[in-house]
Amino acid sequence: MSDEQWGFIFNKDSCIQCHGCEVACKTWRAVALGVNWRRVINLWSGEYPHITCSSASIACMHCEEPACVDVCPTGAVNKRGAGGIVLVDARKCIGCQACLDACPFKAPQFGLDGVMQKCDMCLSGKADAPNFSQKAPPCVNTCPTGALALRKMTVAQKKEAEQTMIDLLNISKKR
Amino acid sequence: MTKQFGQAVENCAFTLEEAKAFAQEAGEQVTPTFCAMCGPNPTCGIYAFVKDGRFTRVAGMLESPLNKGGVCPKGHAAPQWVYSPDRLKKPLLRKGAKGEGLFQEITWDEAISIIADKLQQQKALYGPESLAILSPAHRSYSNYIRRFLVAHGSPNYGHSGICYVQREFAFTYTIGCQPRCDYKNADLIILWGRQPIYSGPAMGAARSLVAAKRRGAKIIAIKPSVEPDVGMADIWAPLRPGTDAALALSMLNVIVDENVIDEKFVETWCYGYEQLREHVRKYPPEWGERISGVPAAQIREIARLYATTKAATIDLGNGVEHAPSSNDAIRAVAILMAITGHLDRPGGNLLVGVRSGMPSPKTVNLAGRYTQEMVDKLVAPEFPRVFQPFWGGTSSAYYRIFDSVLTEKPYPIRTIIAPGTQPTVSNRGSKRVVEALKKVDFYVVLDVTRTADMNYADVVLPVSTPYETDHPFEFRGNWLMARNKVIEPLGDYKSMYEFFLDLGVRMGYGEDFWHGSITDCQNYQLTPFDLTIEKLREYPFGLIFKAKRNAPSYENYSRVFQRRSTALSREPYLPQGKVAIYNTTFEREGFNPLPEWREPPESITGAPELTGKYPLILSDYHTSKAYSAAWQRNVPYLREIQPFPTLHIHPATAAARGIKNHDWIIVESSHGWMKVKAELYPGIRPDTVMILHGWWQGCRELGFGDLPILDGGANVNIMYSVDPDKAFDPLITAMSSQTLVEVRKYE
Repeated sequence: MSDEQWGFIFNKDSCIQCHGCEVACKTWRAVALGVNWRRVINLWSGEYPHITCSSASIACMHCEEPACVDVCPTGAVNKRGAGGIVLVDARKCIGCQACLDACPFKAPQFGLDGVMQKCDMCLSGKADAPNFSQKAPPCVNTCPTGALALRKMTVAQKKEAEQTMIDLLNISKKR
Repeated sequence: MTKQFGQAVENCAFTLEEAKAFAQEAGEQVTPTFCAMCGPNPTCGIYAFVKDGRFTRVAGMLESPLNKGGVCPKGHAAPQWVYSPDRLKKPLLRKGAKGEGLFQEITWDEAISIIADKLQQQKALYGPESLAILSPAHRSYSNYIRRFLVAHGSPNYGHSGICYVQREFAFTYTIGCQPRCDYKNADLIILWGRQPIYSGPAMGAARSLVAAKRRGAKIIAIKPSVEPDVGMADIWAPLRPGTDAALALSMLNVIVDENVIDEKFVETWCYGYEQLREHVRKYPPEWGERISGVPAAQIREIARLYATTKAATIDLGNGVEHAPSSNDAIRAVAILMAITGHLDRPGGNLLVGVRSGMPSPKTVNLAGRYTQEMVDKLVAPEFPRVFQPFWGGTSSAYYRIFDSVLTEKPYPIRTIIAPGTQPTVSNRGSKRVVEALKKVDFYVVLDVTRTADMNYADVVLPVSTPYETDHPFEFRGNWLMARNKVIEPLGDYKSMYEFFLDLGVRMGYGEDFWHGSITDCQNYQLTPFDLTIEKLREYPFGLIFKAKRNAPSYENYSRVFQRRSTALSREPYLPQGKVAIYNTTFEREGFNPLPEWREPPESITGAPELTGKYPLILSDYHTSKAYSAAWQRNVPYLREIQPFPTLHIHPATAAARGIKNHDWIIVESSHGWMKVKAELYPGIRPDTVMILHGWWQGCRELGFGDLPILDGGANVNIMYSVDPDKAFDPLITAMSSQTLVEVRKYE
């Protein structure tokens, strides 16, 4: 595996919670109703009146050591793609949802066919995935405030990005 | 072809060339045009993609100086709106009783003839003023509405009475114009009743806020509940809905009392400071706390911070335009800006700002033809007649047009045309509005999809979405671009613009309507550019004009304070050529010369006798991240973001009533009741509950049915008082959106 991987960087200080990334993902990839490859959530911290909120835009983080790959009983999820992209082989998936339980970001999604689907960074090369040439995926492109970025990063940076998102999500759990 | 791994990926949207290259590779067509998914003057630049004749998706236009490539969720969901099963298909003529929903299909020509015959008949019998056309928000076609009304002879352009123009009026009659916020240079930004994110998130305000935050500006947010903009703030002042005037008056008390004013500015450029000093003695922060719920210590803190921070700006939003004390709230804020020396200085509130180098297109509103006779005939002036026309023309208050149908005072409106507006769900007093719709002689609805009240219409016309037409061109700031057609109309559609042109011609006003030619109409408007619309279309992403000077100009007091009004008298806005702290114009017309506090019709401090039965304050959100006002609930990708009408309620308030998250609940006021879902919301005042307005429409794709318009639905407009003596601002018609309610679990 390459030392360098693609990874999403989310900057919570720039996110305005507009959900543009979420819907851009759905229209550009024709994602079914009820399925969200990317989702934006509101996170509370504090208690009234000393309370504030922040946002998180979450999709598959294409982890350095993906828990979904480890737990998949059929080897349907793998991290073999160039740039460390975690991909699903729909033919092998049995829809057991073990990946969903294991994922700290709850990224795996299941549509009517029961097969796991999720963000492929628009880099899967699948026929229905647009070719963005020099461009970032629609979720990144559409962001009015540049809160979301796709970067080439080292293994250490990738782990840091994962941890940042885990910490962010824990803010709300601690409340 | 897959991405070449290893190349840098920047955060950037498509340029025209990139969009074309992408489209070619994907076997699609691309059209540069404008997004059309939000309210007034939607002008974000987009590239719209079409595959096999079907509009599929959009990307942001990087060249657009407005959105710079950003697109919000509403913009992305556009294809679902265009292809919605809720779209109207054919012009319809009512067959059954009003409200029954029985129609027969007719042609556009027949529809135009039926409407024209009715208008001509009524004009002869009752005068042209018997026609009112509604325009809830200012849109590109608002000026065409005005043009038609002026050509017809009616002054009754029905403006909401609850949005934007209220601020425009109160600011203009206090400091000469509505000021802009100098986000770029401010060290302190006060977001007051403002929602810079949900209204046009890609258009710049949100970007400016994020940039200011990044460079360390302090942010204060004043509103009843925490939204993402409050999440960016350093201080949140959770005030009770509708009490902005009280808070502003107490801030004035602190600033005057502690003498943290700009003495030189006050002496040179303000009229009536001495009277203000006496007047605000009665509004100490402890009084302000009792009314607004904001702690006195916090009122002092905010007032001092604002007065003593040199580069401080106030971004006053629509939230202040929904209370009977609106005019005084806005005036009080304008006075705050003035006496603290924040007007037209770097980082403050700018009167002029950077001047766009772009000429203004010719307007089509026929403003030069207003007469005293027309002003006298206003059925329900949004502002007193002496101030009319204001902001582009004369206006009657939207809700009061319906009231005139019922009261017949001063006369009944006979025909109401509703182009892209739903009076039963977008304005207060829905119960009275329904009664008026049953009674009014003739009601015409024009829209893209089904509307809440089309069953009361005599004629319904299906209009094209802006993705199905090539007009009008749009302009904003220093940017001018032609609109291009993305797909051919999916049905028997014409645009709103073509409707007014065709009706104008059919009525015999052809001279004023370019004999029906939208091309000639656009060419007329483009005269100052020495361009035709065909020529403009050759610039695929439009023309961007360089600013006249790069730095904003400051301290334009002598010029701005001398502005003449647009009222027929042309009397200056500021008779003394100074900030009207003490407003002699308002005094002359019988209104308060100084800002005062006026209670909403039902409030904890104003109607304590009601709080036993109804202990909570209810108000509503004007905008949301998923929807524009009362439309788009039928768009599945948006409905998924906000699937249910939910009441924001503090967890402690809910727990005291045995209400859990997502429970169905009943919300009851003395005017009506709603059945909605509870959303336990830790970031809201425990004495206040809030809901988004505009709920009625279902979403077939997701299996959501329509909700009742009146009791038992989720239409918050039925919940408020429309008492003519209490529910309106006496000067600027702002309508109250506060009441007292109780909430209980739905069993």
